[in-house]
Amino acid sequence: MSADSAAKTTPPPVVQVRDMDFCYGASKALFDINLEVKYHRVTALIGPSGCGKSTLLRCINRMNDRVPSARVTKGEVLVKGKNIHDADVDLTQLRKQVGMVFQKSNPFPKSIYENVAYGLRIHGEKNKNALDEAVERSLRHAALWDELKDRLSANALALSGGQQQRLCIARAIATLPDVLLMDEPCSALDPISTLKIEELMSQLAREYTIVIVTHNMQQAVRISDFTAFLHLGKLVEFSPTEELFTNPREKLTEAYLRGTFS
Amino acid sequence: MDRPTTPSRPPLRSVLLRSRKHTVLGVDPQHLIRWFFGGNASIAVIVLVLIMTFLLREGIDFLPTYRHELQTYRRAGLEFCDIIDQPLQQNQTLSSSLRQAVSASLETLSKSARDRRDAAFLLKRQIEDKTTQTSESLSQALEKTPPLPPEELAVLRSELQKAAAAAAASLTYTDLFSAAEREQLQREFAALTPEVTDLPPLLQTLAADFTAKDREARTKFASLVQAQEEFEAATEPLQEVVDELKQHAQETKENAVEFEVLETNRLRLLEAAAKEKDPVEKASLTKEAEASFTEAVNLAERIQAITSRATELREQVEKYALVIEKAAAVLPTDAGTGVARTMVNDVRAGIPVHAQAMRKAAAQLDSWRWDKPVSIFTVVGAFFFGTSWITNSSWQDFFGFVPLLSGSLVIAFIAILIATPVSVVAAIYTNQFASEREKELIKPVIEFIQAIPSVVLGFIGISLVGNLIKDVSEWSWLQWIPGFPIQERLNMFNAGCLLAFMAVPTMFSLSEDALNNVPRAYIDASDALGATKLQTVFRVIVPAGISGILSAILLGLGRVIGETMVVLLVAGNRIAIPDFSAGPGAIFQPAHTLTGIIAQELGEVSRGSSHWQALFMVGIVLFVISLLVNWCARAVARRFEPHKA
Ligand SMILES: Nc1ncnc2c1ncn2[C@@H]1O[C@H](COP(=O)(O)OP(=O)(O)O)[C@@H](O)[C@H]1O
Ligand SMILES: [Mg+2]
Repeated sequence: MSADSAAKTTPPPVVQVRDMDFCYGASKALFDINLEVKYHRVTALIGPSGCGKSTLLRCINRMNDRVPSARVTKGEVLVKGKNIHDADVDLTQLRKQVGMVFQKSNPFPKSIYENVAYGLRIHGEKNKNALDEAVERSLRHAALWDELKDRLSANALALSGGQQQRLCIARAIATLPDVLLMDEPCSALDPISTLKIEELMSQLAREYTIVIVTHNMQQAVRISDFTAFLHLGKLVEFSPTEELFTNPREKLTEAYLRGTFS
Repeated sequence: MDRPTTPSRPPLRSVLLRSRKHTVLGVDPQHLIRWFFGGNASIAVIVLVLIMTFLLREGIDFLPTYRHELQTYRRAGLEFCDIIDQPLQQNQTLSSSLRQAVSASLETLSKSARDRRDAAFLLKRQIEDKTTQTSESLSQALEKTPPLPPEELAVLRSELQKAAAAAAASLTYTDLFSAAEREQLQREFAALTPEVTDLPPLLQTLAADFTAKDREARTKFASLVQAQEEFEAATEPLQEVVDELKQHAQETKENAVEFEVLETNRLRLLEAAAKEKDPVEKASLTKEAEASFTEAVNLAERIQAITSRATELREQVEKYALVIEKAAAVLPTDAGTGVARTMVNDVRAGIPVHAQAMRKAAAQLDSWRWDKPVSIFTVVGAFFFGTSWITNSSWQDFFGFVPLLSGSLVIAFIAILIATPVSVVAAIYTNQFASEREKELIKPVIEFIQAIPSVVLGFIGISLVGNLIKDVSEWSWLQWIPGFPIQERLNMFNAGCLLAFMAVPTMFSLSEDALNNVPRAYIDASDALGATKLQTVFRVIVPAGISGILSAILLGLGRVIGETMVVLLVAGNRIAIPDFSAGPGAIFQPAHTLTGIIAQELGEVSRGSSHWQALFMVGIVLFVISLLVNWCARAVARRFEPHKA
């Protein structure tokens, strides 16, 4: 095999977190995190609540910038090999490359079409055809096109909870990001909607690199290729999902998985 | 040794029974508290209903009263006169334009001569003022009957001469006069004595100069002068007839009103007499009632005197129309100055229109019936669509609502137009861009505006804003703005500015609240998609808060429409529909308002009169407008706020 094809089979990690400490003011929330997110794979972040999963996730698109006095105090975060804290990084471009879906669905009080087109519009796309195409593609990817194609001008807030969350996914992928961050996207949904979104995620994993925070370990097993277990701001274990769940290296992980956790 | 025992439970029955310990007069205090709060809430509702009932009770009688008044207006023949008299008002405007045009034209030739003459006479007056004392003592001395010895007179004379010479020397002579003329004037003034009544020769020449020039001008603009004279003369015969009829109608009306007063008085006395038991009292009341008896005015007969002259009136109108049309036809196209020329042209265009209006009015005379009843719809129309609000008139009071409404609306519109951008932009800035310290400064400052008493603002409007607007309107490089330079310092624009200032706190606070209520999640979503701060604000936050902003604007409008003090002081209080033909410049005209008229007139009218009731009607309409605006604000707030649902 040539070196070329070897590179193709193992592309470089899309997101790398290296020796990162993160502080909210004086209190440290993340300690010395090292994490590599593989290209076109689903990486799950699990751990008890308050352990810093969301914080870690938000470090990747610098959403924490909005919290005053919150900052990375050590180490670095690389997206596609570029340190995102470099002075020459354009935050709007970074967030265009790294989409995000939130715990609670949050479509804008606009039409379905405008919701999906929003990301493109703010990045300067004015061409009607390009917008139409992007909206259709994104809605198809989010498995919403068939349901909604006849009422694109309806208000997004009239949709059901599950549809709203899928619409948010469609909105996030409309700008063709490389990475999609999801912070407990199913925690507010009923089981059927959850199932739909999980199906959707395995579809999306073919084209996007996904990092998902989840509370639900079964979900992590079902959808992720890699799993990171965090505890009290530290990354305890990070390995392929099957390995982590069947054969955890750390005692702490095992205890957490068993549910015998103090 | 004693083991803890489970405390024995009370028997079930006593638990379920209501405790009697905590009752006040057998009522549970919980209920009392509930009633207390509920009672306070309902007081607000009850008071509102009471206000409405009160307003309605006082105001609703207005319609029958006004109907009665309009009926008298018709039966006494005042309406008949107004058919011709109203359009005839236009005559005044045309005539005054024409007169101005004539004098402007004449002035082109005679102005310098007139100025010289007037200046010389002014100087003479000044000399006379300065020498009054000495000249009076001389004239008194001259009149004494044994005449004074000549030497004494000579002393007085020389004194006067000295005074006159000194006064003549002290005057400043304008440069209308040449050096030689100045010298001559000074000499002549110094020689003034009370005995010589003839004008000094130079003054005589100056006066003659002017007369000559004026005559010259009059021949030069002969056609214009003639047209003007003809136009004025044409009015006289018609005006005479109209005045005669008007006087007759007026008399009829006065008699009818007097009769009504006496008649009501008599009926009241009779009623009292019928109830009275004491026979002496009863007799005296009846007697008084009889004394109050008067002959009813025979309206039919009196109106005959007016309607019988309809034909004559019509002929006069026709004659008038013909004459003025002829005058218009011979109006020269040229006049002395550009201004005069436009005036003449306006008059030329105006006369045929006026003549036409007069003919149309004359044609209506025939179909007019004195005994046609005034329907209630006519009255409602006369109030809501009436274009004049005339009170305390010797002729006829009219209560037309449109001038007040238009004033209120224009002022409110100006205020909202100014206040909306200011308060919304300030709210967006404060809510989204300002630092904490800026917020701490901006919010209290804007909210403090609310604490300024409106009378103080009115004061500022009169003393400061009015002058400011007037001064600014005279800057030469701003003359392209319609309405500039403005005539009146107190006008709708001025009032609108101050009301805008008053509305800003309300609109700012409510808009800011609306923006604050936009869910955080929308901002998260927009940020996460890579939007800049400005994009998030204008594409997400403002659209999501738009209903709150709109309702803030509407509530601001409610505040502005109801405001009284400022408009009363600053709007100029001219009761007339703004002349919108002047274009947007109309906002610099004075006007009166719904609130202002109530505040101004209610204290002065007698209770229960038609004027009083009319003011209450205005109050009712104002109340309804406020209710509507508030209701709209609520509806808007609900309509566009899906994230609150
Ligand atoms: N905006 C914030 N300011 C200060 N501390 C925060 C903030 N957000 C989260 N934290 C703290 O950081 C820690 C990790 O929080 P988070 O990442 O939200 O946990 P998780 O998502 O795993 O439940 C918690 O102790 C939390 O109290
Ligand atoms: Mg979380």
